[in-house]
Amino acid sequence: MTELIKEQHLLDSLTSAFKIKGRVIRDRRVEVFADKKMVSGILLFAKKQLGFIHLAHMTCIDWIDENKFELIYTIWSPIEKIHLFVKTKIERENPEMENIDSIWDQANTYEREIREMFGIQFPGLIGEQDFALEDWDEMPPMRKDFDTKKYALETYYQRPGREDAKDVRETISERSGTKVPDFAKKYSREK
Amino acid sequence: MINDKDSQKIVDYIQNFARKQSLFVMAYGTGCGAIEIPATMTSRYDAERFGIRGAATPRQADVLLITGYLATKTLKRVIRVYEQMQEPKYVIGFGSCTINGGMYFDSYNTINALEQYIPVDVYINGCMPRPESVISGFVKLQELIQQGKADNGKKYRENLEWYRTNQKKIIKNWKMPDYNW
Ligand code: SF4
Repeated sequence: MTELIKEQHLLDSLTSAFKIKGRVIRDRRVEVFADKKMVSGILLFAKKQLGFIHLAHMTCIDWIDENKFELIYTIWSPIEKIHLFVKTKIERENPEMENIDSIWDQANTYEREIREMFGIQFPGLIGEQDFALEDWDEMPPMRKDFDTKKYALETYYQRPGREDAKDVRETISERSGTKVPDFAKKYSREK
Repeated sequence: MINDKDSQKIVDYIQNFARKQSLFVMAYGTGCGAIEIPATMTSRYDAERFGIRGAATPRQADVLLITGYLATKTLKRVIRVYEQMQEPKYVIGFGSCTINGGMYFDSYNTINALEQYIPVDVYINGCMPRPESVISGFVKLQELIQQGKADNGKKYRENLEWYRTNQKKIIKNWKMPDYNW
């Protein structure tokens, strides 16, 4: 594994500085698992000391079975050419996370999106409450316990005829008076 | 001359003939289907030979194309655009998403049947419809216009209350101007 030297070196410098766990995923991909409180420190350290000057992405996963939200910060170093994933898990009840838009301005956009889609609060975040949705007053829609199908059935008019998954081949062949070809029959839902 | 029934017929015929030959389409794309419009308009399918061409503003347009799924946020804009258009005005629902929700039928944010919110003249099915079907939809609309059956602007005005109730069910924060057509 001689090719992974710079990745291992990066991981070593992070783990020795912060006492965190992490691993090298493959070449050019490193991830570290940090505590909620340490995230901004790690990001700042990576930006100032290790040359990770670009916040590529910031996203959130709802681990409903563990009752946790996972926040993932993806940062990129144009010198090392490594993507570093900083991952942290926070509680699902009254979720709150440190606002990092003083480190990278573009974090503001991601944080507003996460606030709207998962309901995670970032104290001190500037910007409208609405991001992509408008006048949304239900549960944040990207949470796993939000039942989008049920909501759609209740809210929007449903055109009759698509309650069950009907086989359109049969209907069309009946209507046009032709036969369903043999090769298509094996895909039929009505067995 | 107008009082005479037969001459009124001739006037209507000429009027409808002229209308159907110049359909100005509002340049407003929603959803993924709008990507078929450039293909329809450009040299290969050349929709302009049917008199179909783009218009920049709602007040100059005759046809409003709803090219696909419609988020509730976009529906608000679509209603505003539709209400600003001058009569005669026509709506074409384009793609399965406007008909029954298509593959976004269970989305929390897209409507499932367009004609509940604005009157639709012609639906074109497909996901997405090819330029041939788009043109066939327009030809169908031209037939309706020639027969004098495409008067949905009037229908909208007369049933405004029904449409408003449906629209307000979805758009919670209704802050829109009223037009006195
Ligand atoms: S019908 Fe298909 S192509 Fe058209 S908007 Fe819906 S998903 Fe997209």
